[in-house]
Amino acid sequence: MHPAAAATQRPILRLEQVVKRFDRRVILDDVSLAVLPGEVVVIIGPSGTGKSTLLRCVNGLEDIQGGHIFFEDHLVRAHSRSVIEVRKHIGMIFQSFNLYPHRTALENVMLAPVIVLKEPRPVVEQRARELFDKVRLGHRIDAYPGQLSGGEQQRVAIARALAMNPSLLMFDEPTSALDPETVGDVLAVMKDLAEEGRTMLVVTHEIGFAVEVGSRMIFMDEGRIVEEAPPREMLANPKNPRTQQFLRSIL
Amino acid sequence: MSSVFADYGALLLRAAGITLWISWLGLLLGGLLGAAVGLARTSRWRVLRILALLYTELFRSIPVLILMFFCYFGLPLLVGLDLSPFAAATAALMFAASSLMAEVVRAGIDSVARGQWEAAFASGMRYRQVMRHIVGPQAVRVMLPPSVGVYIATLKESSLASIIGYVELTKTALLIRETTGQSLEVLATITLLYFVINYGISLVGGALERKYAIAHY
Repeated sequence: MHPAAAATQRPILRLEQVVKRFDRRVILDDVSLAVLPGEVVVIIGPSGTGKSTLLRCVNGLEDIQGGHIFFEDHLVRAHSRSVIEVRKHIGMIFQSFNLYPHRTALENVMLAPVIVLKEPRPVVEQRARELFDKVRLGHRIDAYPGQLSGGEQQRVAIARALAMNPSLLMFDEPTSALDPETVGDVLAVMKDLAEEGRTMLVVTHEIGFAVEVGSRMIFMDEGRIVEEAPPREMLANPKNPRTQQFLRSIL
Repeated sequence: MSSVFADYGALLLRAAGITLWISWLGLLLGGLLGAAVGLARTSRWRVLRILALLYTELFRSIPVLILMFFCYFGLPLLVGLDLSPFAAATAALMFAASSLMAEVVRAGIDSVARGQWEAAFASGMRYRQVMRHIVGPQAVRVMLPPSVGVYIATLKESSLASIIGYVELTKTALLIRETTGQSLEVLATITLLYFVINYGISLVGGALERKYAIAHY
């Protein structure tokens, strides 16, 4: 993004000194982060360092014990009525897909727009069919999740998130549960989305993907943001010793 | 046996109908009450969970016969509420079934993966919408087999209503025995009738299970 454009744009998502604890254990420790429209922010780091928890706090699946999260103009508060407004505009893609097994792929995609946004079925179905083409699954529209491969299920999950016309997409290790040969299909769809200018927050171990499409890379360790830089820069020249150590261990 | 059924067949079949009806009513009301208690057991609020647990444990541990006595003899003394044998028996069966159904409902809801809730909540659904469209339909499939078991248990327990004077299948059989004196034949006849009814319920339950199985789960 052009620096001048960035300066005038307001962040779509803002985390201010967020603290998350489970009992006494600190999961997120003073995390601050702003995401601008059109950015693809990639979060990397060792497992168990709070990356997934961070995403789950953003849409209020987890509550926070300190700090604030603002999405567009809403203060995100878990267990509040207002959090539903936030969730309508944030699409979330899970590591384990979480498709509804008792519904076909098409119904999985149509359900939330029909129930939550109360849009007419024909309108939603039209959009859903286009989304299946976009994720290259036009031929699997009537399949049940149990009949689909992991990669296909994850692409249905992406279509399901897109069906709500979200202004932010969050990916929680979207390829970690996939067979290696289906990872590429999912990453290709995610790349398409990034190139469309979608705002994305991606937790992943796919460094290649991060470098190719990420506008910014964040390295997290032990609940803190340790380092933040454009992906190529961080890879070529990691400043913090922990970042250096982590990158050495995975590359 | 053949002579008992030949002479009293119509009466026994009508009595079997009454037994089916009162146990169905007990299961239905108990199922509704049990669903409410079962939902409370999975609630976010601790107080609600504890109250629901106490309810379940209490009614699960009281013998159905005592519940019937309580509803029939106890309520008039306690609150001046006079129930007919039918109403008292139905209420007792309802309380007994509700404690079992509460467990069935809780187990059904717990069987649905956490990720299903999260995906549905993340898409902006409210609790009721998640329950109705996502978790409920999946839980019901798990609940069906044990519910059939509860229905059969309730149907057998309904024979206890004979003791507070409600004329259902067992009471009818006992009256026929008094009239004819053919104890063994009467016992054999109602044994067979109970078996046929409950086996029928099992078959219907099995058919429902296959009908609602998730395709390609």
